[in-house]
Amino acid sequence: MKSVKLHSQLSRLVVSSLAFLLLFSLSLSAQQADVANGEKLFKANCAACHKLDKKLIGPALLGVSERRDQDWLISWIKDSPGMIKSGDKLAIQVFEENNKLPMTANPHLSDQDIIDILEYTKGEEVVEAAPVAQEVDPGVERGKQIFKQQCAACHKLEGKLIGPPLLHIEDKYEADWLKLWIKDNAALIASGDKLAIEASQYAPIAMTAFPQLTDQDLDDLLKYMAVGDIDKMAPVAAGTDNTVFKNPSFGVLPTLGLTILAFLVLVLIVASTTSRKVDEDEESTGSMLKMLIFNPFLRFLTLIFVLLGGAWLLFGFLWQIDVNEGYQPIQPIAFSHAIHAGDNKIDCEYCHSSAKNSKTSGVPSANVCMNCHKSISEYNGELFGDYTKEDLDNEIQKIYDAVGWDKENLAYIEGAEQKPIEWIRIHNLADFAYYNHAQHVTVAGIECQKCHGPVEEMHDMYQYSPLTMDWCITCHRETQVDLTESGYYKNIHDQLAKQYGVEKVTAAQMGGLECGKCHY
Amino acid sequence: MKNILKITIALAFTILLSSCWSDKTKPNYQYMPDMYKSVGYNTYSVNPNYENGMTTQLPVEGAIARGQVPYDYPNTNEGYEDAKLNSMNPLEVNDHNLERGEDLYTIYCTVCHGKNGEGDGTLVQREKFLGVPNYKDREITEGSIYYVIMHGRNLMGSHSSQLTAKERWQVTMYVEQLRNELLK
Repeated sequence: MKSVKLHSQLSRLVVSSLAFLLLFSLSLSAQQADVANGEKLFKANCAACHKLDKKLIGPALLGVSERRDQDWLISWIKDSPGMIKSGDKLAIQVFEENNKLPMTANPHLSDQDIIDILEYTKGEEVVEAAPVAQEVDPGVERGKQIFKQQCAACHKLEGKLIGPPLLHIEDKYEADWLKLWIKDNAALIASGDKLAIEASQYAPIAMTAFPQLTDQDLDDLLKYMAVGDIDKMAPVAAGTDNTVFKNPSFGVLPTLGLTILAFLVLVLIVASTTSRKVDEDEESTGSMLKMLIFNPFLRFLTLIFVLLGGAWLLFGFLWQIDVNEGYQPIQPIAFSHAIHAGDNKIDCEYCHSSAKNSKTSGVPSANVCMNCHKSISEYNGELFGDYTKEDLDNEIQKIYDAVGWDKENLAYIEGAEQKPIEWIRIHNLADFAYYNHAQHVTVAGIECQKCHGPVEEMHDMYQYSPLTMDWCITCHRETQVDLTESGYYKNIHDQLAKQYGVEKVTAAQMGGLECGKCHY
Repeated sequence: MKNILKITIALAFTILLSSCWSDKTKPNYQYMPDMYKSVGYNTYSVNPNYENGMTTQLPVEGAIARGQVPYDYPNTNEGYEDAKLNSMNPLEVNDHNLERGEDLYTIYCTVCHGKNGEGDGTLVQREKFLGVPNYKDREITEGSIYYVIMHGRNLMGSHSSQLTAKERWQVTMYVEQLRNELLK
């Protein structure tokens, strides 16, 4: 009996310690596998309100599993409102401590998920996180560099530049053929390759040969073209027909040069023809210069040229009065459209929200900035211009100063004086001309870029279009009105089309040239 | 000699003109600015008549703009719960409203919530914002969607200054449609 009892005690001890070890190792292995999962879940479910190291909407969560019991945390995360209602003292205390903001319930998370998240909140480094970024073949990155250096002058991945777009070009041509083509397309064409001859007809300009690229280079390049940019920023559809708005007149300098040249030629001709007469009359050969100065005809000619030239210059000067194409004032905050509209692809109308309903597109009020900059208080992107990261962080701080925001505590400072940010307006139409954004943006559906240019590429905003009357009415003359969806006006549109004998009515034919439409 | 003088003057004049607007950070010349500049105060112009120096003033408290319908749910937890249960979309569900809702959703919401409402917008992909929920993971009603657009919630700010009441309801309608599709 005694020995049996001893045995049973011993075996119980062994069994229980074994079980403990088993559990421990199980939980250990579970922990190791799941920090990465925990991080993923944390980012997807918690990061909207929590950070590990500092307060956001909710409290900082680093080491929360040491402060609270795991079971309590699991039930809290799953259903915090339910716990508060059920009268759990700790739950109510947490609720009161955090401004009485109820935490969102997460019933879709399993116990294991929550344990993973808690593991992540211990703040240990995630070793497994790296492979996510390394899935990209390093060759692609190299290919990108080569593309930027060699091809980007004439090609884009998407959209025609000088040459055709190159994304997924391998679907169209075989890799070996492409390599030959890139290395020396002229030779390929000369060899009578049908594909090459066909491809050469894409553009009137022959493609440059790249004999310096090795096979490895070409492989990487093709990989990049197959994959494209990983964090690709597609340019917002910039108006392709911008040429319409480019000043169609001659450049000033060539014209001036031509005029002066013509004048000199004329002077020489006159001088050479008249000099003979002078030669006949006088014995002395006379200096050319003297003759030029005292020749009455030449003086008359010069006078006319000077007057004409003066008039031309005067008109040139008058024409450009208050034409502010290229106006680029220094704004109070180094706000970059290229980052907001280009990289982050925030729609123009997100900030310029009154463009859809009103005459002006509106300067966004600071609350719109704060929609994002409540949580984005520092700049982590690629640097631009001469700015350092500190400079750009300070630029963000300027919004906080204007609205009185405490970025450490994520709250508006009570009693702080709010002051306006004094942006400098760039597009100023003269007071005697009327313009309405809603009519152009909502009714006509014109892209912002058509008038404002490639804003999504501008770090510092500038005026892209001349905003002259000529520019306005040229567009009105050329823009065809989409009549398909305007049932209300169908009748009058039909009549107009009949009157002008056209199928599509332009804005001008609908009265877009009438003086009183814009000047009253 | 006179001609040379004239030519010199002309050249000097040319140089003068070509350099007349070299500083692009300042606006170009205006002839008779009275014709260009409004006599009245512009919306965003400085205004010495008001204490804070701005032409745009906040409406008097309690003022209701023409056509505006007051929103009676306060920005509190109770207001949220109340709106969630009781606030209803006054607009009829039809193609026009849904289309407009989609347009507006694309402008104002996609950048975080993603094209289909899965919480995978550009800003999330670029890790500027994290933890934007998938619509299907949240118990939301038309009342609560509208409430959140109106007042904001947690890190999402209020979008009431960017959208009119009607537009907010159109977006709400579209968000509900997205959510139903996600729940399928």
